[in-house]
Amino acid sequence: MFIYYIRLALLSYRRNPVLSSLMVLAVAIGVGAYMVIFTLNYFMGGDPIPHKSAQLFHVQLDYGDPAVADFEPPPQLTYIDAIALLDLSSEHPRTANSKFVGVVEPQNRDIRPFSVSGRGNFSDFFTMFDIPFQYGSGWDREADENRQQVIVLSSELNDQLFGGSNSVGETVHLHGYNFTVVGVLDRWSPMPKFYDVNNGPFDPIEEAYIPWHLIVALRMDRSGNTNCWAAPEGDGFQAFLNAECAWIQFWVELQDSAARDDYLNLVDNYAAEQKSFGRLQQPVDKRLFDVNEWMVEQEVVPDETRILSALAAMLLAVCLLNTVGLLLSKFLGKAPEIGVRQALGAHKGSLFIQHVIEAGFIGALGGVLGLGVAALGMEGVKILMGDLIVSDWMQLNLTVMLVTIALAIVCTVIAGLYPIWRACNINPAIHLKLQ
Amino acid sequence: MLKMTHIRKVFRTDLVETHALRDISLNVAEGEFITITGPSGCGKTTFLNIAGLLETWTDGQYLLDGQDVAALSDFQRAKLRNQKIGFIFQSFNLMPDLNLFDNVDVPLRYRGMKGAERKDRIERALDSVGLLSRKKHLPSQLSGGQQQRVAIARALVGEPRFLLADEPTGNLDSNTAEGVMELLQSINDAGTTIIMVTHDPSLASRSARNIHFLDGRIAESDHIAVAGQLEAVS
Repeated sequence: MFIYYIRLALLSYRRNPVLSSLMVLAVAIGVGAYMVIFTLNYFMGGDPIPHKSAQLFHVQLDYGDPAVADFEPPPQLTYIDAIALLDLSSEHPRTANSKFVGVVEPQNRDIRPFSVSGRGNFSDFFTMFDIPFQYGSGWDREADENRQQVIVLSSELNDQLFGGSNSVGETVHLHGYNFTVVGVLDRWSPMPKFYDVNNGPFDPIEEAYIPWHLIVALRMDRSGNTNCWAAPEGDGFQAFLNAECAWIQFWVELQDSAARDDYLNLVDNYAAEQKSFGRLQQPVDKRLFDVNEWMVEQEVVPDETRILSALAAMLLAVCLLNTVGLLLSKFLGKAPEIGVRQALGAHKGSLFIQHVIEAGFIGALGGVLGLGVAALGMEGVKILMGDLIVSDWMQLNLTVMLVTIALAIVCTVIAGLYPIWRACNINPAIHLKLQ
Repeated sequence: MLKMTHIRKVFRTDLVETHALRDISLNVAEGEFITITGPSGCGKTTFLNIAGLLETWTDGQYLLDGQDVAALSDFQRAKLRNQKIGFIFQSFNLMPDLNLFDNVDVPLRYRGMKGAERKDRIERALDSVGLLSRKKHLPSQLSGGQQQRVAIARALVGEPRFLLADEPTGNLDSNTAEGVMELLQSINDAGTTIIMVTHDPSLASRSARNIHFLDGRIAESDHIAVAGQLEAVS
């Protein structure tokens, strides 16, 4: 009967093409607009590493100036604390990391030197965040300790420097120093870029990765946010390293709640010790945040998208209310046919199913057209938001397409419930005589 | 086969009560051909709708094949309509965007019959009314008489026990009406019970029994043909 009902839905569409097309259009606009915002929220607010987001923790310490009442503790760590926590956390996978920029001088003299964005991090960074490799791998802890001049390239930089070939063992001249390539990343674009949300959560990943100690040892040009709440004592780089200036993100991987509790104790003790030295005077509510807690804490999804979501939901509701009216008109217009069907043996249940399928058919058509509306809307969002979003992920993938069509069908069927109920409860006797 | 006892039907609105049927009691035996006559508004169609389980009634008892149908659910009534009752309407009530084959198919669809059996039955039904060759045509491509024959094929395809016809010749010219009457006569001869509403006394006179409605009541009930046959025998 399902195919029979689909055929009846198609015939019904052809019988009232204008009315039916208006419904399809209303559903398409409502669902299409909603899906644009849904997609924006989905990628901005999604769990970027769902299989282990509950085991990865960002550490925050009690920074701030007690004299400033509403001081918002900076999300990053100072150099002193990062070094201390690295030692405290050595039994767990952990990484301090921060951004830098550097100039690469390609071996091929035909290519002019160019600037790259880079990240200093520890060897555990690659395994903790399950970063995929195209060639080679990350470095090891020994390389961290010995400050070896090794480098991991993004696939884009590898394409640029080595034509995409396996460059493991090759040398890259960066910031005036030679680095040996140990690995090339595969395509990877976590959304949001959870390991560093305070330096552009929707920015592309960095192009080059080097051991974190080298940022200090080679005086790399740091980039990204730096928050200071006390002036450095003295001048120069060493004075900056010793200052109350936070510029380092710190992550640790803790397998279970027991490990988490133990580690939290360590951090608490460290904070208490530092307090006794006159530091860390402004207590924070929480010192460990898992990935999703950290996204919320840092308000990765901007308020504007929530407002947009509400507006899109209202537009969808208005479109569906229109659809209710149009469906009511269409289904009540079929009263004589419904009467005949009842006379010939249709019961209310079968009429209900027939019309649910007809509403679903209209919804499916609206969903397909809504994909077009959503595609247009996403292009508009890319133009409006520009560099704030990565256009690679703001697109109609299979999930978004299926959700769009499913949403359109479900919404239209819900919108059709009242018209269907009315249609199924007409008195056939009235319409049989009048037809 | 059909037994109605003291059936009343009152249509109520906030302001008005209309007594469409007042105390109708009627027995219809298997194989009868009954015509219902009476002026407009006397309750003929209401009676037919109640007989066809398309309308509820206010009071009284209705037994169909000995079964009290008052307590049946919508599903059970629909099943009874589908399996035991065929309907023929004055305005044919064919579905305009379904071809003849698909129009005749409708009652069989609700019976859940397999495709091959449906096809066989539909073709036999269309053949019996002489329209098999036009099974792919739309109703709009047929004359009024042909459309009514399709409606008869649709009513008969499920092999119902009785046929309810509401002025089946009302929209047809006299020649075409004659053809439809002959068809109904042959259906009745084959054993199907027919109850037909008509305004035409000449058509009413061709049935075995004519019941005359007046103001919601049975005013007269004549066993025309049977009486005539008995007279001839004596």
